Amino acid sequence: MAVSFASRCSRVGRSLMGGLGNNFCNLPSTSSEMTCGSFLSQQQRTFIQMRTVLKVVDNSGAKKVMCIQALKGKKGARLGDTIIASVKEAMPNGKVKKGKVVYGVVVRAAMQRGRCDGSEVKFDDNAVVLVDKQGQPIGTRVFGPVPHELRQKKHVKILTLAGHIA
Amino acid sequence: MRLEKCWFCSSTIYPGHGIEFVRNDANIFRFCRSKCHKNFKMKRNPRKVKWTKAYRRLLGKDMTQDSTFEFERKRNRPERYDRNIAENTLKAIKKIDKIRSDRASDHIKNRLKTGKIQRQKEARKQLEQDIHLVKAPLALAQDSSLYLPKIKVNVSQTRTEENQPMEG
Repeated sequence: MAVSFASRCSRVGRSLMGGLGNNFCNLPSTSSEMTCGSFLSQQQRTFIQMRTVLKVVDNSGAKKVMCIQALKGKKGARLGDTIIASVKEAMPNGKVKKGKVVYGVVVRAAMQRGRCDGSEVKFDDNAVVLVDKQGQPIGTRVFGPVPHELRQKKHVKILTLAGHIA
Repeated sequence: MRLEKCWFCSSTIYPGHGIEFVRNDANIFRFCRSKCHKNFKMKRNPRKVKWTKAYRRLLGKDMTQDSTFEFERKRNRPERYDRNIAENTLKAIKKIDKIRSDRASDHIKNRLKTGKIQRQKEARKQLEQDIHLVKAPLALAQDSSLYLPKIKVNVSQTRTEENQPMEG
């Protein structure tokens, strides 16, 4: 009964608003829909594992990269870990080409990571900075915020290149 | 250690609590609990959500301007540790907290005063006008106990000693 009422409510709401502003639709619809739709809107964020596509946030030439192995970690890589990845999408003239197997350091992860003071941090997306086997970044610039967990992992070079340290 | 404020409800976040969300434009949002976090994910505006401090301050329900708020301004310069200063600061924090909460509750009390007076006035008027719903007007004329008569009671100053040894 609650489900039918909620669906009726949402239909009315959508027809009124015309599907425009998210903020307007949210208030009347979510208050009634919350009970049945709450488990759908909760996104379970997990580790970065094989087949995870990550964004590349440096100017090494690659754009998207697919994880093929998370070094360290049975379940997968987290914020600050290194991964082996395959370049799926690249800029036409860059240092790395499509299909190349590279190492990368995860600098932004949607899964929350616990900090030493007990709080948790999470970012908006999954992003990686390409590095070589020694851990030195291939690119010369890093875009977006990076966490200061990298300092503990000894990725100081990435921190110096970063514009903003979260 | 730093005590942060929740972005949504403006309550203090103590160490070990809450989630910090860093957006790609490097804006940091701190939440004290998942309730605030979920509301944020729903894109709710805290200024419109009734139970948040942002809403209350915006509508004047809570105190906005006070000199006690100056003490809580964020200072980015670390102070050199001095034992006396630290001790005095801890004492001052307690006192300032008490003063601030007293002033805040006074603000709310003053705000609610006009409503209280209004309600009393209306109650008095209702008693005069609608007493016929409770008792017939003819019966009322004979029995005057349903009015609010002003009874003057003279309290004698001398105490009577007789009442005390009754329980023995």
